[in-house]
Formats: sequence, C-alpha cells, structure tokens
Amino acid sequence: MKRKDLILHLVGEISSFLLEDDPRRLVISLHQEENGLHLCFLDENTHTQEELSRIEQKLNSRKRPELAGYYGSMTGHDMLGASRLNLLGWQVKHCDVSSIGSGIKIDIWLGGDAFQNDQFTIPKKGDE
Amino acid sequence: MKENVIVNQNKTLLFLLVFIMFSFIVTGIAVDGAGTAFNGFIELQFRPARLISDYISEAGIGASLVNAAAVGITALILILIAKVQLSGATFAAIFTMMGFALFGKTPVNILPIIFGVYLAGKLAGKTFSEYLIIALFGTALGPLVSMVTVEMGLSGLSAVAVGTGAGIATGFMLPAIAVSVLHFHQGYSLYNIGLTCGFFALFAASFFRAGGYEFASIMQWHTSESVLLMFMVPVLSVILICVGIFSAGKNSWKDLLAIQKHTGRLPSDFMDLESVGGSLINAGLIGLAGSAYILIIGGDFNGPTIGGLLTIIGFGAFGTHLRNSWPVVVGVIAASLVFGKALTSPGVLLAVIFCTTLAPLAGAFGIVTGLVAGFIHLVLVHQTGSWQGGMNLYNNGFAGGLTATLIVSVIAWYRSRNSGFK
Repeated sequence: MKRKDLILHLVGEISSFLLEDDPRRLVISLHQEENGLHLCFLDENTHTQEELSRIEQKLNSRKRPELAGYYGSMTGHDMLGASRLNLLGWQVKHCDVSSIGSGIKIDIWLGGDAFQNDQFTIPKKGDE
Repeated sequence: MKENVIVNQNKTLLFLLVFIMFSFIVTGIAVDGAGTAFNGFIELQFRPARLISDYISEAGIGASLVNAAAVGITALILILIAKVQLSGATFAAIFTMMGFALFGKTPVNILPIIFGVYLAGKLAGKTFSEYLIIALFGTALGPLVSMVTVEMGLSGLSAVAVGTGAGIATGFMLPAIAVSVLHFHQGYSLYNIGLTCGFFALFAASFFRAGGYEFASIMQWHTSESVLLMFMVPVLSVILICVGIFSAGKNSWKDLLAIQKHTGRLPSDFMDLESVGGSLINAGLIGLAGSAYILIIGGDFNGPTIGGLLTIIGFGAFGTHLRNSWPVVVGVIAASLVFGKALTSPGVLLAVIFCTTLAPLAGAFGIVTGLVAGFIHLVLVHQTGSWQGGMNLYNNGFAGGLTATLIVSVIAWYRSRNSGFK
C-alpha cells in the first residue's frame, strides 16, 4: 500500500471515531519524515478519563501481524457500523492519548523498524 | 505483567489444541485399529474431495479422525513457524481446518495452496505471518487440487504435478481476492475466505466447463448412528467449558456476558477483547447448542455435520456467540419450512450450522436483519454449490458472503439518504 493510501485510511478511521460524538471542531495534523510520520488529532468534546484509557488501550493493543495484514485493509475503508480503533492499534508504532482542556489529543506515530519517535520535532508530554 | 498473561494464555491454548489433536488420533486408532486407520488415512489423500465427500462414509471413523488431526497438526506447525500467537483467529482456523478434514481437506491437498499464498506474500513484500490466516482458511479449495489430481484422467507424476501446480496457482490468487471481497460485506460475514474461494472457484469451474469437463455430483453422507460420533462434540464442548472456567476463574461469567455484547463483526477476537477463558466457555456453549439441535431434529452426526460443529466452536472465539447467532438460525429454519425442505436434509442441516457466518449482521443491526439474512441464505446456498462445482468447501461461506453483501449494500444505501444538513 502506498504511504498516501495508508495515511488516508488511518485518518479516515480515527476521524470516523471522533466524528461519532459530533464535535464542532476537529483538527488533523500530519508531519512526515522519510522513515516515519506523526499524526495528531484534536477535538473539543469532553471525554472521561475512563474513555481516554479505553482509547489508548485500543490504539496501543499488542501487534497482530496476522490480523493487520488481512483485516487491517478495512481500516478507514468499511465505515458501516462503529469505527474500530483496534484495527489501527495493530498497525501503528505508538499512540498517546491525552486530555487538552475540554477536548482530546491523539498522537499516532507510524514508521519502519529504524524509526525513532524522538527524531520528530514533536513536543513530548510535559513539554506542552 | 501483560506479557506474562499472554504467554500463559498461549501455553493454555497450545496444550489444549495438542490434547485435542492427540485425542483424535488415539480415538481413531482405538475405534478402527492402527492399521485400518492409517491405511484409510493414506487412501483419503488420493480420493475426490469435492462437496459432499464424507470421509467417515468413505474411509471410516478412525481414518477420518487421524486425517483431521494431521490437518490440525499441519496448521499448528505453520502457526508456530510464523511465530504468531495463538488467539481467536488461529483457534478458529485450526478448528475449521480439523472440521473440514472430516469431509474434504487432507494434508496433501492443502499444502500446495498454502505454498501459493506464501509465494504471493513474497511477491507483495509481506511476511508469511501477515497472510497466515488467508493461507489457513484458503485450504477450503483443497478439493480443486484433489480434483485435478484424481478426477481429470491424469495419471502418475503428471497428475501430481498438475494438481500441485493448480493448488499453488490457486493459493497465489487468494490474498488479492480475500482483501477485495472483504470490502463487499465490510466484515459482516465471518467466513470471508468462503466468499473468496467461492468467487475464485466460479472462474475455475467455468474454465473447466469451457474445456469440456463435466462436474459429476458427489453425495457421500454417512447415516449410520454411532454413539461416538453423537457424543464427540458434546464431550469436547464440556472440556472447553471446563478449561475456560479454570482459565478465567471468577471472571468466567462476566467475560462470557461481555462476549455476548459484541457484534461479532470481523475481526472480533474474543480472546483479545475479553479473555481466553470466556471465549472457550462461549465456544463450548455453541458446540453444545449445535449438537442439541441436531439431536432434537434427528439429524445425522457424520463428517460434514461434526465438521460444521467444530467450525462454529472455533468461531466461538472469533465472532460467533449465542446472542448474535439465534436470529440467523431461526431465519434458515423458517425458510426451510416455507419452502418445504426437510430440516434433516443435508443442505438445510449444514445451512443451519454454517449460517452463523452471518451472525454479525444480527449482532450489529438487530434481530429482524438476522432473520432476513438467514432466510435469504438458505435460498442462495442451495444454488451456489453447483455454480462452483463443489470445489469450495466453504459453500455456506460463499452464500453467506453474497447474502451479507446484499444486506450491507441496502443498509449502506439507506443510511446515505440524508447528510444531516438543513
């Protein structure tokens, strides 16, 4: 799959998830490097701590190559029904979910084996 | 901590699966004797395998159980080689493969297909683990390999070479089709490889027919009563429930209830979403319910029906549960009554078991959708077998995939009627 398609599908799935709560504003930020990328999603809906933990757990679920290589193709594609964050979780390198004021911030990092998160110019937790 | 839990769960499943395969071999030898069982097993490798070829009818209980264990061991070795953790998907794949090894799969006719999928992965730059599920379930087209090898008039090495080549070519095509047809029904039919293989077999059958080959119908259906066959799945189900209770402990009931709340849409790995213990209890309950149904209507316990029960037990860890299954089953039964088909006839009996491929439709869109899906499924499944020449063992998966595609298309269209803007 081309990188552009992968990004489109990931953006589609996670946007679908956030749009289920009908936010008035949704911001999507993309930062690309040669061997990885960072996606950031921000909305302004209130989310409980339990909800944040659940989202983070799904997005950081253990890697399942046998499912990602096959069912992962449904990510951001087959949108009838509830969105499924675990499809993303199997494919991404790491995710952070945090509360920002009244909204949510979801950071997703993707990349190859050589990819290091800290190569990116992204503020770490605590630097914000 | 979490890593330790996963390792322990993997060990539990590995031990359970090895125990089941070992039990199949021991039972097979105990029933027919080692010589008869193993001679029958060798004979099965070179027999026609198209639907419906009940191996119990053809070679006896012993040979069929040894064949099922051999296919299960093949699957398990591949999973271990691919370094994939045992989970809902692989549990379902192993049970499905063992079940269909009672009526169509053998180690000889599945290996070329698996190798074909491996080659496709190489070409696409994927690891074998990424295509493992397709490779395991894709063995539904094993009868195509057997047919080319033993039914088309070829002999000797040329028969083996052409049959193996056909299997490799078939396996090579499967990943491309599997991913594409997944989008047809959006994960609302559990046996997606059934649709994949049916789609491919349509073309293969058409080419064979164009070349002048006539598909002779096969109907091997064991009807003699056997206490062993009758109690095999219930005993296995009780073992699964006991292991599940032991594994989940005090959370057994809670996890089982939580599983009933999932829609079951692909990929719903209940072992990951809830627990291994809860999934095993769910699988055991499905096995008991299916066996009870066959007993109540007076159906036959033979290769195809036991194979069906093993399949739905496997999917008890990967999308099927009692709550999302019953509407579809009732829909199939209703259709059989409306169209005057006997509940004990092979086609209806297998449709009742395998229609649970459509369980996610009931789980996601409600009881009425499930009933309608089951009703349509029975009508369609009686046609699809002849379309594909009986080469695709997952004929219900093929019909179920088409049914789900129809229903999902209508629902998606209906929901698109209004964007919500004033």
